[in-house]
Amino acid sequence: MSDSASMKLSAKRKGWTRREWRYFWLGLLFASPWIIGFLVFTVYPFFSSLYFSLTTYDLFNPPQWVGLDNYKQIMTDERFYKSINNTLFMAFISVPISLASSLIIALMLNFKVKGINYYRTIFYLPAVIPVVASALLWTWMLNPDFGLINMFLRAVGLPDPAWLMDPRYTKPSLVLMGLWGSGAGALIFLAALQGVPQQYYEAAQVDGANGWHRFWRITIPALSPIILFQLIMGLIGAFQIFTESYILAGGKSVSGSIGGPDQSLLFYAVNLYQEAFMNLKMGYASALAWILFIIVMAITLVLLKTSRRWVYYGGE
Amino acid sequence: MQRKPWLWGLVLVLMISVASGCAGKETQNANNQSDGSKGGESTKGAVELSFWYGWTGPEAAALEKIIAKWNAANPDIKVKGLSQSDYQKQLTAITGGNPPDIASNFGQDVVPWGERGAMMPLDDYIKKDGVDLSDYITAALSTSQGNGKTYALPIAMHTTMLFYNKDVLAKAGFDGPPQTISQLKEYITKLSVKQDGGRLQQLGLWPGVDAFTFTNAFGGSYYDADAKQVTPDNAGVKSAIQLAKGIWDQFGSEELDRFASGLGQYMSAQNPFFTGKYAMTIDGEWLPTFIKQFAPNLNYGIAPIPYDDNNPNLKNPGNVTTSVFYIPKGVKNPDASWKFLKWLTEPEQMGEFTAALGNLPTRASLLDDPIYANVPGFKEFLTYSQSPNLHSFPATAFANEYMTEFTDQYNAILRGKIGIDEGLKKVKDKIQPLVK
Repeated sequence: MSDSASMKLSAKRKGWTRREWRYFWLGLLFASPWIIGFLVFTVYPFFSSLYFSLTTYDLFNPPQWVGLDNYKQIMTDERFYKSINNTLFMAFISVPISLASSLIIALMLNFKVKGINYYRTIFYLPAVIPVVASALLWTWMLNPDFGLINMFLRAVGLPDPAWLMDPRYTKPSLVLMGLWGSGAGALIFLAALQGVPQQYYEAAQVDGANGWHRFWRITIPALSPIILFQLIMGLIGAFQIFTESYILAGGKSVSGSIGGPDQSLLFYAVNLYQEAFMNLKMGYASALAWILFIIVMAITLVLLKTSRRWVYYGGE
Repeated sequence: MQRKPWLWGLVLVLMISVASGCAGKETQNANNQSDGSKGGESTKGAVELSFWYGWTGPEAAALEKIIAKWNAANPDIKVKGLSQSDYQKQLTAITGGNPPDIASNFGQDVVPWGERGAMMPLDDYIKKDGVDLSDYITAALSTSQGNGKTYALPIAMHTTMLFYNKDVLAKAGFDGPPQTISQLKEYITKLSVKQDGGRLQQLGLWPGVDAFTFTNAFGGSYYDADAKQVTPDNAGVKSAIQLAKGIWDQFGSEELDRFASGLGQYMSAQNPFFTGKYAMTIDGEWLPTFIKQFAPNLNYGIAPIPYDDNNPNLKNPGNVTTSVFYIPKGVKNPDASWKFLKWLTEPEQMGEFTAALGNLPTRASLLDDPIYANVPGFKEFLTYSQSPNLHSFPATAFANEYMTEFTDQYNAILRGKIGIDEGLKKVKDKIQPLVK
C-alpha cells in the first residue's frame, strides 16, 4: 500500500519529507483499531475458512487434511441443490418484486401532499422492527385459521392457502413478508428522487412529454445507479437469507431436519448452519461458504459489467 | 532526536492485543490441566458452578427450585443456573475453553458430541460412587452411551402411544382401539370420511406416521453395531415405511395437503385430534396435559401402539427420546460438577423435576411413584415405559445426519418422488461412509 502511494508521489518529487512520514504513521495509528479488527475478525477468518474447507474439522479434534473431498461431496449432495434452488427463487423472484415495490412506494411518498412526513414514517416503520420480531408477527398474520390475511381472503371469497404449512406457499409467504419491509429501500429511492434536477422535468414538459415518458426517460435513468446498488445489496441479502426460515420453519425438530415443509425453506445459509452446528462438519460447511462466496462474487461481477449498458451516472 | 509518542502508542496497542491473545491461551491450558488432574484442591473456598439448561419459563422455574434446594444443603458448592436454550452456545463455550460446569442437552446430541470429545466420560465416577445404571430404562440410557462409554445421564424421556377419540370410534361401530396393525389399517379406512366428490372431511390417522416408532413394531433396526453397517434397508424399517406409504396412497398427496391446509394449530383448541378431524393420533406423554388445557371435554383413550400380526411378541413397541445432563470437557472442578450431576439425577430430584414438567422419568424405580398421580395420562404412559420393546434411535456419532437423511427420503418416498428401495439405498450410500 505504502509502495504504490510513495511511487505516485515520487513521480512528482523525491520521497516523503519527515513531516509526511509522520502524518502517514499518525494516520495509521488512528486507523489501527479498524486495521487490527479487520485483520483479526475478517482477514484471518476468511483465510482460515479456506484452509478448513480443505479439511474435516469437528471443532473438538484437530482438522485433518482431505484436499478437495468436501467440494466433490457437495457436488453430489441433494440438499445442496435443493438449497440452491430455494435460494435462487428468493434472489430472482423476491428481490425484483421488492425492488419494484420500494420504487412505487418512493414515488408515492414523493408527492407533495399534506402530512407526507407521517406517511413516510409509517412506511419506514417496519424496517425498524427486528427480523425475529417481524417473523414471529407474520406467523400470526399468515396463520391459516385465525390469520388476518386469510380472514380477509375468505371475506372476499378468495382461496385461503395454508401459507407457511403448504410447501407451495412457504416461499411466497417470505416474499410477502419482504414486501412489508419495503420502506427501507423506499427511503433510499426517495432520497435519490429528490436529487433529480427539476429542470429535466420542466424541459421535458415543455417538449410535450407525458408523465409516463418522463418516468421512463428521466426518473428511471436518474435512479439507475441506486437501482443497481439496491439490486446488488438485495441479491447478497437473498443469498444469505436465514433468520426467517429458522424462525418460521422451527429450529431443532425431533427428526433433526430443519427447512420447513418438504424442505421448501431450506435455504443455502440454513443448510450451511445445519452442516456446521448440528452435524459438526465445519470443514464441509466452510467449503459451502466458499462456494456461496464464489456464486455471489460472480453474480455481482456480471451485474457490474452489464450495468454499463443501463446505468447512467450524472457526469457522463 | 525527537520523541515519537504516537509510535509508542502504536506499539502499546500491539502489545495489548498480543498480550490479551496470550492470556486467552493460558487460561485455556489451565482448564485443560485441571481436567486431567481432577482438581481436588478446589474445595478450599466455596466453589461456584455454572449450570446451563435448555428449559425456559415455568419449566425453568421448576428446575431453579431444585437448584435452590441443593444450594441450601451444600454451602461449599454453589450452583448458578442459567436458562440457555441455544445449544450452539454450549459448543462455542466448550471449544473456547470456558464451558459451563454442567449442561443439559438432547439425547441425540450426546454421542455425536461425546465421541468427538466435547463431553467428559462419566464411567469412572459412576463406578467410584456406585451409581446403579441398571435402574435406568434401557432405551433411555442407550441414548447417552457410545462405544462402551457413558457421556451423560438422562433426566427425562419421551415416548408415544395411540390416542383415540372414543365418540368418533363409537359412531363408526368400534368399541375399543385397534390392537394390531391390520386392525389399524381397517380402522383408518372406516374412520376416514370423504364428502362432496371425494374431499376428505375426517381422517382415521395421519399417514405420515413416525417411522421410528413403527420400525420397532416390525422388529426392525437402523444400525448393526457388530457389522458396523447402517441398515435403513432392514426388513423391519421397510415394513414401517410400506405401512405409511400404503395409508398415504389411499388418499394421495394432493388430497392430504388440501386436508392438512385446513387443520388448526397443534397447540390450540383447534388441534385436529381435539376437534375430531383425526379419529386417532400417535403422540407423546405431554398430549394429555394439552387436552386438559385446550379440550377438557374430549372423550379420548390412550392405547398401546398396535403390534404387527406376524410379530405378536413385539407388543407395546415405541421410540424413545431423552433430555440429558452432562459435564463438558475442560471444566475446572469436575469432581464438584459430578457431585451435583449425581444428586440431580437421584430418584427424588428426577421425580420432582419430571412430574413438574410432565415428562417421563428415566429410572424404572420411579415408574410407580405417587408423585405422578396428578399428571394426566401418566398411568398409561408409566406402564408403557416398562415395555421391553421401546428403543431409541441408535446412538452413533453420525446419528443427526442419519436421521435428517432418513427423514428427507422418507418424505420423498411418501410423496412418490422416489421408490422405497431406491430411497433407502440413497440413505445407506450417504451415511455408510460416515461409519468409523
